[in-house]
Amino acid sequence: MNGKGTVKKTRSNDHHEGHEGCTKDTKESETGRKWVMTTTLVPKITLWRVIVAVIFAAGLYATYARFALGLSQSTHLTDPQPWGLWVGLGTLCGVGLSAGGFGIAAAVYLLGFERYRPVLRTAVLVSFLGYMSVIAGMMYELGLPWRIWHPIVMWNRHSMLFEVSWCVMLYSTVLALEFSPALVEKIPFAGLRNWYLKQHHRILIGLVLVGCVLSSLHQSFLGGLYLLTKGKLDPLWYTPYLTTLFYLSAIPAGLAVTVMALYLCVRSLNVRLDTRILGELSQVIAPMLALYGIFRGVDLATHGALPYLFKWREETLSFWVEIGLFVLAPLVLLSLEKARNNPQFLYWTCSLVVMGFMANRLNVSITGLQASAGIYYVPKWTEFAATLMVITAVVLAFRYAVVYLDILPKNSPQPRWMVNGAAA
Amino acid sequence: MERTKAILVDITKCIGCRSCEQACKEAHGFPKDTEAKLSTTALTVIEEHGDKYVRRMCMHCQDPACASACLVGALKKTALGPVTYDKSKCIGCRYCLVACPFSVPRYEWTKLVPYVKKCDMCAARQESGQPPACVEACPTGASIVGWRNEILEEAQRRVLNDPKYVKHIYGSEEAGGTSVFFISDVPFEKLGFVAPPQQPMPTLSAAALADVPTVVLVGGSLLAGIYWITERRNAVAGAEAREQSEKKP
Repeated sequence: MNGKGTVKKTRSNDHHEGHEGCTKDTKESETGRKWVMTTTLVPKITLWRVIVAVIFAAGLYATYARFALGLSQSTHLTDPQPWGLWVGLGTLCGVGLSAGGFGIAAAVYLLGFERYRPVLRTAVLVSFLGYMSVIAGMMYELGLPWRIWHPIVMWNRHSMLFEVSWCVMLYSTVLALEFSPALVEKIPFAGLRNWYLKQHHRILIGLVLVGCVLSSLHQSFLGGLYLLTKGKLDPLWYTPYLTTLFYLSAIPAGLAVTVMALYLCVRSLNVRLDTRILGELSQVIAPMLALYGIFRGVDLATHGALPYLFKWREETLSFWVEIGLFVLAPLVLLSLEKARNNPQFLYWTCSLVVMGFMANRLNVSITGLQASAGIYYVPKWTEFAATLMVITAVVLAFRYAVVYLDILPKNSPQPRWMVNGAAA
Repeated sequence: MERTKAILVDITKCIGCRSCEQACKEAHGFPKDTEAKLSTTALTVIEEHGDKYVRRMCMHCQDPACASACLVGALKKTALGPVTYDKSKCIGCRYCLVACPFSVPRYEWTKLVPYVKKCDMCAARQESGQPPACVEACPTGASIVGWRNEILEEAQRRVLNDPKYVKHIYGSEEAGGTSVFFISDVPFEKLGFVAPPQQPMPTLSAAALADVPTVVLVGGSLLAGIYWITERRNAVAGAEAREQSEKKP
């Protein structure tokens, strides 16, 4: 870019677009030299951009620490606590919170609930990006990440983790295919575009079906990973039904994430969506949370864990925080009819569900194992930084996808003079 | 796996000379410093509990949790008994550390290319008929090696004939049985021994894994059936709507 020729424009003029990239404008001057004109040289500094910049700076240092200095310099992981935040938050929560995609896809394509179709692409996009974040997180987590392909050729059918890795590989592919039309639509060649979309339509139902089975399997198997920790994991979380519990909790949590993403889209972007759909989704979430709560309660009672419910210990406290956030508070809030019809209220209720879900996964992977490990694991700041960077990257990717692709039904853009008129 | 090797550690005979530790370090080419706990350079250590010396090492389970956990099959129970680790397969997921009921495997956290480290019962030495380095070095016979059934009989004979012993052979039932046994005159829980489940660990996840074909078949056909019903309902509704519109005018 020619520094001499750049002209800074006032801010108000670049406000009509959703993005503030450098729009180049070349024109011939009298002398025949090319002048490059940009509307903005430096992106506008806003609070959110500063936060994103800080997150990426910290995340990049964490990446450097992880790959150039090693696990001991970038984490507080030790032999008694070999899995920490990257597994507990990055993998367990990342996969679990991505369960919305298969839930909505099944509802629309298999059960024929057409009214959810407007939110289908959003749900699939959230899931796809969620899985991408899990795979990105794996690169940090694995000691030898360049061998991530080993499970493809080296099989151990007795390993729960083997099944999980295959399900993640296959389901990520399914999600990519399910989402692909949103990208293919933007291909300028009509022939290629139509050919792809036609082929895609033929296999779509098969994809959705395979996707449902795969996700159901590996949502459960993530819980199954901890079946081997009998005797180590606290009785408040260890049960032979860890698989069922992980499955039952993932669906409402995945739907809650979908509701949150939709609400943010409606609020901050020019989206035309009937917000009653959010209320309907929440009416699905509530009974699922209740089902989970009942199953959990019966399971605790039948495994003799009831005495642990009222002991004064850190595990029990964490347990009640988890149950309060994930089951009790959302059920009370969702039972209020006024609350169900208020999108903002729903948003905060769903955020409780998501927080409760995360508490559950962190309790299983960290809190519940602390006593038997005999050490107190607090993640190093670089562990948080790397995780936060991956999550931020996913949020940004989601935002740009929603802005540039046809994910949600949008209002037709208003003419600029109207915006200016309204602002004046 | 009918005839596998096993080690018996008689805690009453151990004098804490640490010859086993040194022999192990020598056999693996590790630095000779004495270490208090198992580490990546100490695959067996003597822990002091009061006036007792307790040797710690991999228990070489008959049906090992780590081998069932390892997704690439880097950990294996060999025909001769030792549980071995193939570092060329390992991807560094550390699920073996999570899975081990005895918390034995160690990870090279400080290295940029980290591997798992654990006792392999000197599998290579045993293949050629030699005893494990630690057993060979033991001057008091506190550690002995032999065929598993014979070693177990020897342990039973000692425990039954001498009233000083606790009436339990640690390793006979723990995690479904191991290839390393301990006998002691002090209760095991006082010597830092954990009490893992008394069943082969892989059975804990085997039931869930066995459900996979059922889930795939039943779930898949159920979903396909639901889809068929949905489609059929739509088709019927469409046909009825057409009939209605044809009848009217």
